[in-house]
Amino acid sequence: MNRAIDDGRLRELTVQSEDLHSDAMRTGRAALDDYVEQTLDARASAPRSRGLAGAALVVGAVGIAALATGGPAWADAKTDMMMLQTAASLENLAVFTYKTALTLPFIGGDSANAVVKAFATKTMAQHTEHGQAFNAAVVKLGGKEQTATDPKYTPVVQAAVPTIKGPGDVVGLAITLEDVATQTYVKNVGMVTTPELRQLFASVAGVEAQHKAVLLAVQALLASNAADLIALPPDGAKLPSAAGNVAFPDAFFPTAKASPPEEGAVK
Amino acid sequence: MAITEAELSSMTRELDDMHQATFPDVRRTLGEFTDNLSRAAASRRGVLLGVGGVAALGALAACGSDDKKDTPKPQASTTMSVYVGDLRVVALAAALENLAVTAYDGALKRASDGKLGTVPPAIATFITTARAQHADHAAAWNGVLTKAKLPAIDGAPLTITQGAVDALGATDSVASVVKLALGLEESAAQTYTFAAANVTDPGGIMTAATIQPVEQMHAAILHFVLGEYPVPLSFVPVDKAVKPDVLTR
Repeated sequence: MNRAIDDGRLRELTVQSEDLHSDAMRTGRAALDDYVEQTLDARASAPRSRGLAGAALVVGAVGIAALATGGPAWADAKTDMMMLQTAASLENLAVFTYKTALTLPFIGGDSANAVVKAFATKTMAQHTEHGQAFNAAVVKLGGKEQTATDPKYTPVVQAAVPTIKGPGDVVGLAITLEDVATQTYVKNVGMVTTPELRQLFASVAGVEAQHKAVLLAVQALLASNAADLIALPPDGAKLPSAAGNVAFPDAFFPTAKASPPEEGAVK
Repeated sequence: MAITEAELSSMTRELDDMHQATFPDVRRTLGEFTDNLSRAAASRRGVLLGVGGVAALGALAACGSDDKKDTPKPQASTTMSVYVGDLRVVALAAALENLAVTAYDGALKRASDGKLGTVPPAIATFITTARAQHADHAAAWNGVLTKAKLPAIDGAPLTITQGAVDALGATDSVASVVKLALGLEESAAQTYTFAAANVTDPGGIMTAATIQPVEQMHAAILHFVLGEYPVPLSFVPVDKAVKPDVLTR
């Protein structure tokens, strides 16, 4: 029996995944909307003693910008916005990387493993959604959308792309990006100022961690010359024993590589 | 270049070493969490605020509203419990982790008894490692409780435990065990997503935040083993989050 999943079954799974995803998107958007409303409400009520600054708020985003020189509350909100912009920059870079990878014959072409190709395609779409979500919050808060890629890791990707010789190189690069994104969002959970934003960053961090887990498993199978086992479902009996835990190396997700809030902020 | 099973095992050991290296940071976070909670628990005001917090948490989980004007009556178990406020969420987390440990122990027992058919070595490795990580999580949460002079949570005092045990007893294949484990992992991950947003202590927030991705990683691999797309959602929802009122202590 051919254990590799056929394209029809893969499409079916992707459709199921998208149905589930639509429900989750509503959750993510609701969290964002709640966050934005709460932040705007807070600003609308807090600066009453600030005279003109408070009055300016009623006109919306322009009013918010007028508070840029305000007190500590605005300083916190400004850091929130920088974290959102940096997150968007990491997502933009991930999208660029997967998009580039999909132009390679062994990732997106005829010689690609069907599961790896489907994963790269779906993961690129998920990163696009994450970036849109982060930028939507930035714009609603009166900030400038981050359309650029992360300045620290863009050169890393640019340097790596010409050296890519096979799927293992792509997977290694993707692991680096997924790991940094996850660590950044986990750390941001502890830094942002509202419950809604904590939930947003946590809800995206968990997904990036799943990308990393899948990539670690794929990397191990590629390294053990078992690419044929990258299938849905995998042939469990043939999987090497150590493949059972290579995908989740830490009991607690680290944050040492987290990008600081200002790293990808719009200047 | 292909690598051997031994080399793959070596990679795993290196990963274990990396894991041990992350522990000091986690312990520091938990220590700060405990200090903060201990101060809160030492004051009557802190306790009263804690009860209010639990009520709000329960209400939010139940109906998606945290309207403070409509504070619901605390559950009976909440009223009598020594675990209040953020510490009730900690106790819930410890119980959930113990439930996961129990489930994986039960799976290994059923496997050794031959009730699941042939268990692939990679699946056995997954269960053993995931079980150990859940035990680490439980120990971390229980450390917070004991430092706050509260009893550690042993076992899984949850209203959902019996159902999970019954479901485990009905498993007759690797796939059925994996499906059960997936449900537990997703519930845990969603509970921590909810907790990260709703607990008030910074250390507690970070502890939930650092554990949630690990449960998500477990879930991804379990999806994969079942032949399902491993990352089905773009955002972790909270509809399967376990509410604090399922804790029976």
